[in-house]
Amino acid sequence: MPIAIYRFVVLGITTLAVVAPLSLVVYQSFLTAPFFDHSARLSLSAYSFVFAESDFWQAFWTTLAICIGMTAIAVPLGALLAFLMVRTDVPGRRYLEPLILIPIFVSAVVIAFGYVVAVGPVGIFSTLAKDVLGFVPWNLYSLASLIAIAGLTHVPHVYLYSAAALRGLSTDLEEAARVSGANPFRVAINVSLPMIMPAILFAGVLVFFLGFELFGLPLVLGDPQDVLVLSTYLFKLTNKLGVPSYQLMAVVVVVIIAVTAPLVFLQRLLLRQAQRYVSVRGKGLKTQPLRLHGWRWFAFAAIVFWLFVTVAVPLFGITLRSFVVTWGEGVKLSEVLTLDHYRELIDYPNVVRGILNTLGIGVIGGAAAVACYTAIALAVHRWNSGWTRLVDYMVMVPRAMPGLVAGLALLWVFLFVPFMSPLRSTMFSIWLAYSIVWLAYGMRLISGTLLQVAPELEEAARVSGANDLRVKRDVTIPLIKYGMLASWLLIFLIFVREYSTGIYLLGPGTEVIGSLLVSLWGTGAIDLVSALSVVNVVMIGAGLAVAVRLGVRLHG
Amino acid sequence: MRQVLSAALIAIVLCFGTDTRAQAPQGYPADYGKLIDAAKKEGKLVIYSTTDSVAANPLIKDFEALYPGIKVEYSDLNSTELYNRFIAEAAANNGTADVLWSSAMDLQVKLVADGQAAAYASPEIKALPKWAVWKDAAYGTTYEPIAFVYNKRLVPAADVPKNHTDLLKLLEAKPDFYKGKITAYDPERSGVGYLFVNEDVKNFPAAWDLFKNFGKAQAKLYTSAGAMMERVTSGEHLIAYGIFGSYALGRSKKDPNLGIVLPTDYTMVTSRVAFISKSAKNPNTGKLFLDYLLSKRGQEIVANKADLYSLRSDVDGEATLKRVTELIGDKARPVPIDATLLENLDQTKRLAFLAKWQAAKKGQ
Repeated sequence: MPIAIYRFVVLGITTLAVVAPLSLVVYQSFLTAPFFDHSARLSLSAYSFVFAESDFWQAFWTTLAICIGMTAIAVPLGALLAFLMVRTDVPGRRYLEPLILIPIFVSAVVIAFGYVVAVGPVGIFSTLAKDVLGFVPWNLYSLASLIAIAGLTHVPHVYLYSAAALRGLSTDLEEAARVSGANPFRVAINVSLPMIMPAILFAGVLVFFLGFELFGLPLVLGDPQDVLVLSTYLFKLTNKLGVPSYQLMAVVVVVIIAVTAPLVFLQRLLLRQAQRYVSVRGKGLKTQPLRLHGWRWFAFAAIVFWLFVTVAVPLFGITLRSFVVTWGEGVKLSEVLTLDHYRELIDYPNVVRGILNTLGIGVIGGAAAVACYTAIALAVHRWNSGWTRLVDYMVMVPRAMPGLVAGLALLWVFLFVPFMSPLRSTMFSIWLAYSIVWLAYGMRLISGTLLQVAPELEEAARVSGANDLRVKRDVTIPLIKYGMLASWLLIFLIFVREYSTGIYLLGPGTEVIGSLLVSLWGTGAIDLVSALSVVNVVMIGAGLAVAVRLGVRLHG
Repeated sequence: MRQVLSAALIAIVLCFGTDTRAQAPQGYPADYGKLIDAAKKEGKLVIYSTTDSVAANPLIKDFEALYPGIKVEYSDLNSTELYNRFIAEAAANNGTADVLWSSAMDLQVKLVADGQAAAYASPEIKALPKWAVWKDAAYGTTYEPIAFVYNKRLVPAADVPKNHTDLLKLLEAKPDFYKGKITAYDPERSGVGYLFVNEDVKNFPAAWDLFKNFGKAQAKLYTSAGAMMERVTSGEHLIAYGIFGSYALGRSKKDPNLGIVLPTDYTMVTSRVAFISKSAKNPNTGKLFLDYLLSKRGQEIVANKADLYSLRSDVDGEATLKRVTELIGDKARPVPIDATLLENLDQTKRLAFLAKWQAAKKGQ
């Protein structure tokens, strides 16, 4: 039975990749010193220290509030957005799509800083509002703003999942609802969105997980008001004791995992009858956009408004910053315009290599990662076994670790596992780290698509004499091709932006844009940070536009 | 083909036509040439540093030009990452940096105290201040005054504090004007911030009063100099307390709105600490680089290309010990590189200090 061998090989490798770093972290949480230190003893002291910290509890509740808030904002908006973009005749869809994805691939630090320039206490829009109204009607540094921005910038994540699921769905049910007199929003809420519930739920759980990992936004926006979240608390913890205390960081990670594990359970519960969601059946797909009529421009305006708040405002801020020497209260912008920051960028060492590495890890690394994720998803597909439940939990775990901690754990793996060490200073180590951390992300997209494939197609192939592996290769994979493409795009965007996970593995020759940005940020070269960010956005935006255009033709 | 041949011929002549034995620089021991030869055999140097590569690039380029055949691999990390990465790699004994160069003075001293450094008496020692060398292993390499930075556009000229007492008086006199307008490193979240506040308490009797007034003025605390300076020049904040003179100087060259004050009662001076790793794979090259970094040639670049402030008294320029002395006379207070820095890492003391700070933050 080759299929059984395939399953166990794939599962074995996945388990190893996830469990090795994780077990190091869990083990570390019960020690008194770094595990490689001879003075380390088993103890629960790290737990009692962390649980006695008022900062920890403050950070914990704030983080939970952010997770819940941003999920509540991102999921409905993302799902609706997907419906509008995929199913209806909203004007200008082709041009809107690349714009929608921008928040995913712009570094959160950059977005946050763009907001500071645009709508911070002395930002461009704030001073404008002050001139007109006499006061600034918003406070960028409040927790509410942080939640709103986190929610709005995660809409595209939900959008990508939902849109991929909708594209694989035939429209006959929606048309039936429409013929029976339902208006477009009823169609969305009562028909289309329930059909893609697995994808939406997956996305929801992921966004919630991402809330725990959120770092750039609270770093920049939480700094002035002392808003503490778990990932920034980790920094504070390190500094409180002077020397990094891995056992304390490990405790925080264990807590996050303990809190998020029930979520995966909940998700499983909701999806128990996965059969209900089968929608790709042995019939031809024919999609026709729903006509929105009068709602058309209203929907368009709503999307544009969201884009304005989430994309235009921060990008305007960062772009403006890249062309001026200084800004703020009492500055006439016309007097401080300059192109110097871009000229300086040309002299910046390694910037070209950084850009190339970034593209390489995104395009090639992304494709390789999608291949791995598909292999795992196919291994558990149509397998009635307790092992699949294990996989469900396992893939989520790495994302529960803040990127920096996951990266540190992977450095330990590369250092202390003998046969891994030669690979440490190559791009492979970075690719592996990224792929493991984003495992849940890619896996969910692919398994969400897989859920939609009806068994009869595969059964037909099997009846015609194909063996299990052949069925997967010739039937299942072609059917989920859109899901795989969308997944590649998503992973590309994520990998291009990712940085914190690789920080302990990056070295000379393997710089990526993210690492350049952060090291410049620390020393105050915000001129260069803003110019580099703009270059980054333009570059990837262009690539994305091309990809989406090609993609549109693929399923147009 | 002919071109290739002639190029090869030139290369051969260049290799064998000159004296292959390296020369010792002036004032160095006679057998220094052997060290150079050994380093060239290693041919490579790995540096972990907190100095960003824009600032470090001129140094590296010049070092590579001085010793052709040596290739520098330079990684810039923040101080915590640098520490984490190094101790794990050293424990696994599987290749790490040859030279560690970090602005986190206390963590560097701890690594040396923990036996992670190789002792090496640089021939440059006699040109360095006494406080800058510890155990012939840890070397201060820069002389960075910690400055007040303010917004020239929005801070009235009469308000600009000349020293710590001025600042304290200013906050007492105009608490409303400066409410939310003062910014500083957060000692709870940043190691640098902790060091600064700790040194202030040693040097300034009214330090805790000042901090209480920070609390009353709702001072905003950050973890990066960039974030603070950006918000000072924009006017979101007006005065930043405790900024590396090196970063401030670099920024003020581009942005005329940024004013710098070296406090005249005392100016704390920090130094980036370098040492050679005991686990270095290229120890000879490490020695060569350390000597270069401390040499007059290296320090000229530290001062005039990297804006990091030279600690040698024979180097001229804006960012030098000489210039700082001209400005504030004998009021510079370099943080000595020695075991007293380890007290900063004592957990009990640290937590007690931070508790006191938290109270001050609430104005108590």
